[in-house]
Amino acid sequence: MRLTALLSMAARVVAPKDYRYGTNRPWTEAAKRMNPPGKRRKKVFVEPIEAEDWAILKGDMVEILAGKDKGKQGKVIQVFRRRNWVILEGLNTHFRYVGKVKDYRGTYVASEAPLLLRDVALVDPSDRKPTQIEWKYTEEGERVRVSSRTGRIIPKPVVERRDGIVPLQWKDGPKDTSPEDALEKTYVPSLKTLEEEVMEKLGIQEHRRHQKSYWY
Amino acid sequence: MASSSSLGRVLTLCKRFQSVFRISPAISVQHCAVNLKRCQNNLLSEKSSLIASSWITPISFVGQRRALHTTVSRRGLEEFFDQPENWGEPNVKSGAPWTAKQLRTKSNEDLHKLWYVLLKERNMLLTLAQEAKRQSLQMPSPERMKKIERSMVRLDTVVRERETALRLLQTGQEKGRPGDWRRNVFGYEYWYRFKEYTIPWYMNKRHERKKFYTPHFVQPHIRLRIERFLRERARKVNLKRKTLAKLKERFPQMKLPSS
Repeated sequence: MRLTALLSMAARVVAPKDYRYGTNRPWTEAAKRMNPPGKRRKKVFVEPIEAEDWAILKGDMVEILAGKDKGKQGKVIQVFRRRNWVILEGLNTHFRYVGKVKDYRGTYVASEAPLLLRDVALVDPSDRKPTQIEWKYTEEGERVRVSSRTGRIIPKPVVERRDGIVPLQWKDGPKDTSPEDALEKTYVPSLKTLEEEVMEKLGIQEHRRHQKSYWY
Repeated sequence: MASSSSLGRVLTLCKRFQSVFRISPAISVQHCAVNLKRCQNNLLSEKSSLIASSWITPISFVGQRRALHTTVSRRGLEEFFDQPENWGEPNVKSGAPWTAKQLRTKSNEDLHKLWYVLLKERNMLLTLAQEAKRQSLQMPSPERMKKIERSMVRLDTVVRERETALRLLQTGQEKGRPGDWRRNVFGYEYWYRFKEYTIPWYMNKRHERKKFYTPHFVQPHIRLRIERFLRERARKVNLKRKTLAKLKERFPQMKLPSS
């Protein structure tokens, strides 16, 4: 018991209270460089938005309302809920050198900077203008985003799975169980434990009797 | 007979981890045919051919012999390796793991068989991982290990649920292993889990030396601990209030968070 507790303690990563979360994942070198142990930073105040009120999803078409690329529309690549950030494809970029090696200055790439939620608005697909969103329920009971200006439903963007699998086009492999077999119900409730049932089925007979032992 | 078997059942329920029903080699096997369907290659995905492998070979009653394998496929050490067509491929596709909801619809016997199928697959993947490490190569599709791990954990959960339900019905107790709330020398109250011994407590010299009480000189330290806890709690409440005030100042139109 104590060993598992130790292991779980080791697995649970403890970040210091003033850890600055950036666009890099915490286990990368860049993040470790930004947060060396012993550095103190001011606290970042993030406007609290409820999880159910979050309107912008990965893959949405979105317009920028403020900043360098004001007025441009782009697709959302990444969403950072903890800091209310979105990263758009190819917009709000700055340039930097990547892969610097001694004597080689590195590749000059454009890297996107994150935008605050306040500075972006979802684009209504019918007239392609930015609108404000409300979450409403359809007749069937589905929760959808409705544009407040036009009243049109904005559908959720179709996101590809990270492993590239399209569920409708999946073909089972030799080790996969078919859906009929997987969903088939074979359970018959009975007052027997798994061990007893299996012993019955396999015909194992236990003739040993339990010796008296003490529990304290 | 009925009383001893019910006693046996209660004992099993109460000491699940002890595996009273360890399968020893010297047990006879009666001939019983288990009728389960073969798996088919079709649409939506799961892991492993639970169904293909369950004919129990008939063994005559000569001596008390029992075959280790109860499966049709007896490939021996080949079972530690993947199918030959997957050797050397950088990506092997695999289906989704078993969910707890699907596992709950399966009978105990099916779960028992599925466990061993998953175990063998896990052994195969571990061999593959070790070999890849040895040759300093990347293991093809390491997500299979996670899927197997999750399937096995969910299976275990389902079996434990069924056992807890049965135990509650028959004995009214939820936990299989007896225990008690006891106080240790440092003043903490904790759930002490009983251990199994062959001699009673009044004869156990080592057990006598265990202290399940708090000596009186520990009281001042307990008081200091309580003070520290109250101070930390007050600090947390204060911090929450201050952050809320600061957030309101910076974002005047924000909605108050529910938590």
